[in-house]
Amino acid sequence: MDANSSWAPGQPAGAFTATGRGPRLFSGGGGTQAKVVSTVSTIVVLGALAAVFLLAPGARAVEHEFFSPPHLWHSFIGNPGQGYYSVGAAIWLNIRMFLVAEVLILALALFVALIRQSAAPMLFPIRILATIYVDFFRGVPLILVIFAFGFGVPALRLPFVSTQPDVVYGVAALVLSYSAYVSEVYRAGLNSVHFSQVSAARSLGLSHATSLRYVVLPQAVRNIIPPLLNDFISLQKDTALVGTLGVIEANKAAGIYSETVFNFSSFTVAAILFLILTIPLARFTDRLIERDRRRRLALGAP
Amino acid sequence: MRRFIVAACAALVVTGGLAACGSTTNGGAGTGGAGSAANCTKSKLASQLHTAGKLTVATDNPVYPPWFIHNSPTNGKGYESAVAYAIGKQLGFGKSDVTWVKEPFDSSFAAGPKDFDFDINEVSVTPQRAQAVTFSNSYYPVQQAIVARKGTPIVTKHSPAQLKNYLYGDQLGSTGLAFITSKIQPTQQPKVFDTLAQAAASLEAGRIDALITDTPTAQFMASSQLKHAVLVAQFPTVGEHYGLVFEKDNPLVTCVNKAIGELQSNGTLSSLQKKYLGIYLKFPTIQP
Repeated sequence: MDANSSWAPGQPAGAFTATGRGPRLFSGGGGTQAKVVSTVSTIVVLGALAAVFLLAPGARAVEHEFFSPPHLWHSFIGNPGQGYYSVGAAIWLNIRMFLVAEVLILALALFVALIRQSAAPMLFPIRILATIYVDFFRGVPLILVIFAFGFGVPALRLPFVSTQPDVVYGVAALVLSYSAYVSEVYRAGLNSVHFSQVSAARSLGLSHATSLRYVVLPQAVRNIIPPLLNDFISLQKDTALVGTLGVIEANKAAGIYSETVFNFSSFTVAAILFLILTIPLARFTDRLIERDRRRRLALGAP
Repeated sequence: MRRFIVAACAALVVTGGLAACGSTTNGGAGTGGAGSAANCTKSKLASQLHTAGKLTVATDNPVYPPWFIHNSPTNGKGYESAVAYAIGKQLGFGKSDVTWVKEPFDSSFAAGPKDFDFDINEVSVTPQRAQAVTFSNSYYPVQQAIVARKGTPIVTKHSPAQLKNYLYGDQLGSTGLAFITSKIQPTQQPKVFDTLAQAAASLEAGRIDALITDTPTAQFMASSQLKHAVLVAQFPTVGEHYGLVFEKDNPLVTCVNKAIGELQSNGTLSSLQKKYLGIYLKFPTIQP
């Protein structure tokens, strides 16, 4: 019941096979010459970038402002007595927010997507609500949602609901906003499964729910893993927006450092930490895409 | 004009005249108060001004009483607006020769070229900030004060030991926040907001016990801006003062300092303080 690719095994794949990464633009053949050309062009491009950076009139100032080793270190470890907090410790808060939000988003977004995809007449009002929800939370800037939750809900002074820690409101805002996006990704995945798959499953005697669970969802989710992970990479960085609620996460800790000591190296530390978080996920996404491509083209394991 | 000087310096570097150029630049800014009266007239300052013939003054938007009245720096009312015009007058700039530009608080004292001659926006002088920009002498000495919700424990219980147990919130980069972390040293991490208004909203919602800001701002918050807030007490000044912000090593600071000195000695500053800031003396002073 696998979705068949238009590239059958044995069919000449042309430029596809050379790099193993799908069709490439500007492909200039292979061999030693290609290696020389790519090495030289890499050196030229990186050299030009480095030259622009190092020879700029303000290069020394920028180096001091953004890349000063003592400042990088001090902001990383923090010193509350001096009025600033560790950026390295603060990133933990981003990681925790991200991990909790991710799980909740996966669940809520799937729920919303299934409602929006459902055909049952009885669910019509919920479908309308789901559509309004998606339109609203995709349309309102995330930072405003965070504000509304972080400042609005406590101001209501309700028991329990208004007395949660700020990160809870921040994560709730992240979940609501991202679930709206991710539900659309899910929907795209559900739509990518040909209706004949459902027909086949039903004709085998599978119930509607069972065919969804065992036939449609596995294919749908596999198709959307790259855009899903793309959204999660974005989510990792957007946890920094929760800092607007006064929470000292990495970006806020970096801001406190720079405002206290008047050096922006703390933001470099935060940037590096976010990169350390996101790059592995980005590479993992690439691998999943590649694995899926190879499986569909029957090229064998990478 | 300043760009021309930089270009000239660059040319001198090429011809091996680095030392000469460096000493010229330093001489302008380093000799505070050395400028004679003749050097500090409008025409003599022309080469040092951002826009020739105009004194370009920056402040944030919006701005609040008692520093500015009706969010309008140009009306000459409010302490900082009045001081800016008084300095301008001292240097020979009529009211129409003073132009105002908007500059957010955070970027006003960041390093780099500036779109103004000086910025007047309750910026406290700190050694760290002075590495990035040049400050004038004091035009106002500052005390920090506690703002809390009416009827909460901190209103009555604020001995130095008790002060450590509260949850504070404050604006990123403010001296109030620095006071919290360095002088009070609370047991819980304070909440750090991008604006003072957010800290105030958090206070109103009962999410923090107190915020700390300079007495004038605290007084205005407690009396006008916030419904449920009260100014609890103020702390002894720790030598903090407000200074005008100049681009780093801007030579104009010499003449402006001279003007501030004159305004100090002829009583203009203290009468403006009495006029706009006099209400702040009544609050009790406690130890952090």
